[in-house]
Amino acid sequence: MTAAPTTRVRPTDDSGENAMTAVPSTTGHRGALAQGMTLAWRSLVPLRNEPGRLVQLLLQPVFMVVVFVLMFGAMSGDTEHAARYLLPGVLTQVALISTNTTGMNLAEDIVNGVFDRFRSMPIARSAPLIGRVTADALTTTVIIVVALAAGLAAGFRITAPPLEALAGLALLLLFTLALSWVSAWLGLKAKSVASMQGMATAVLLPLTFGSSAFIPPANLPGVLRWWSSLNPISHLADAVRALLTGTPVGPHVWVTLAWAAAVTACFVPLAVRAYARRIR
Amino acid sequence: MTYAIEVRGLVKRYGDKAALAGVDFAAPPGTVLGVLGPNGAGKTTAVRILATLVSPDEGRAAVGGHDVVKAPAVVRKLTGLTGQYASVDEKLTGRQNLVMSGRLLGMSRATARGRAAALLGEFGLEDAADRAAGSYSGGMRRRLDLAVSLVGRPSIVFMDEPTTGLDPRARADLWRIVREQVAGGATVLLTTQYLEEADQLADEIVLIDHGVVAARGTPGELKARAGDRRLEIRPEHDAEKAELILAEVTGLTPHRGENGLLSVPLLNPAVSLAVFLRLEEAGVSLAEHAVRRPTLDEAFLALTDTTTSGRTP
Repeated sequence: MTAAPTTRVRPTDDSGENAMTAVPSTTGHRGALAQGMTLAWRSLVPLRNEPGRLVQLLLQPVFMVVVFVLMFGAMSGDTEHAARYLLPGVLTQVALISTNTTGMNLAEDIVNGVFDRFRSMPIARSAPLIGRVTADALTTTVIIVVALAAGLAAGFRITAPPLEALAGLALLLLFTLALSWVSAWLGLKAKSVASMQGMATAVLLPLTFGSSAFIPPANLPGVLRWWSSLNPISHLADAVRALLTGTPVGPHVWVTLAWAAAVTACFVPLAVRAYARRIR
Repeated sequence: MTYAIEVRGLVKRYGDKAALAGVDFAAPPGTVLGVLGPNGAGKTTAVRILATLVSPDEGRAAVGGHDVVKAPAVVRKLTGLTGQYASVDEKLTGRQNLVMSGRLLGMSRATARGRAAALLGEFGLEDAADRAAGSYSGGMRRRLDLAVSLVGRPSIVFMDEPTTGLDPRARADLWRIVREQVAGGATVLLTTQYLEEADQLADEIVLIDHGVVAARGTPGELKARAGDRRLEIRPEHDAEKAELILAEVTGLTPHRGENGLLSVPLLNPAVSLAVFLRLEEAGVSLAEHAVRRPTLDEAFLALTDTTTSGRTP
């Protein structure tokens, strides 16, 4: 065999990138962050490519406000009081449902082989997870802001001091981030995108609807009241409501923070382990 | 000498089943190694080990002289992966897929865009550059997939069944691109189910079946051993007599196909005439007869029958 005895880097073509002679070194923390941002960009670009996705993202929270605040509110007679109670519940609902996308997109990347492409490249192993969670935190923020704006248009009024109201939104975002790790874990364990979706729905629906987000537990019959008062989402919804409307928060903020901490402590390691298994 | 790709005694088990049961092969720099085999032979497992996606249970795999288990980061810098399991993002356009890869490899925005534009031109994807990759045809998607794997100008490229499921024209396009890459100095490992594809592209072929190397050699050597054409006959009656005659004239064991079809490698075209004459003398009439290229199954049978073992000690 007459071939050269060592592996060489191939000569560059004439596309004007003569400086690039070798694949650059791109691991390490700075690299991981930059790669994470590139992958966050990659997760958000479909919204620009397909306006339908963007419309759906923006319309869904508006639709929820219309149904729950305006329509269900109209049923109660006192629309102003209904908006005060229901809008924080809708914010909680839309934020939590949005965590679905984290796991669904991870599952999709695994099934489609996109993950394998990333893994075969010289990039930090954590970059795809960083990118995913960053992109989803941004979309969740947008969803919360849109729902709040729609709520204000529907007659909801923020009656708390601005900082307290912001703290309420921050608490919601924080809890959503914690929950997105559960979603990530489900997505990494799932055999298919559809099974991920099924599992996430099975977790999210009883949590969001079976809470004080829409109906005070005191108004619910037996088992439902018991579940609703036990449900951590009730504490979250009550805390968000109290912080936006300037009413006493009671223990709800602390209970919510404790739950967020517990969920994070539990599911970040689980998700990272599931991820490490999938990328072995 | 330092091989661009070198695999020794590679074993990978999934549960009780060994996907690879001790495989050896090597490719000198600047050559194309064709890894040929049916579905489930272990081809993809070998590629996944070389691309650092899974680790072997036993044995050693080195790429550019670097061990895939000990120095995966170095291996990833040297290599590009394309095919069955590495995929493009369907929601991104072709151009965005390429720019993303460039950015992930640490290129500046401008450099990544320039490289993307150059590759789109080279791979004939300019017209579709700004459409979502999910809308691409099979051939276009494979070309994009290959282009994405080449963004960082890897010196070693793994292509896992790059043409499976493509129409003949799209396949020819891909073959041209592979040849261009090799002309540019790259080492290519290509897996395929198609004997013809390995024949067209590979400098050396390794035949894998059930996780072991069944045969190896240059395309010419393997074809000579498999017989590059096959003689097929379907006797109307006296099947056993026909089989005996076929074996006697050719000196080979006929392969029994479906519905009484008998076939042998045809090493010398004159042999078919001799077979027909002998059959006529014996009064065996044929429902059907043909000379055609061997299927992979038959090549396997021929190669595994006529060689004791292709494995190096």
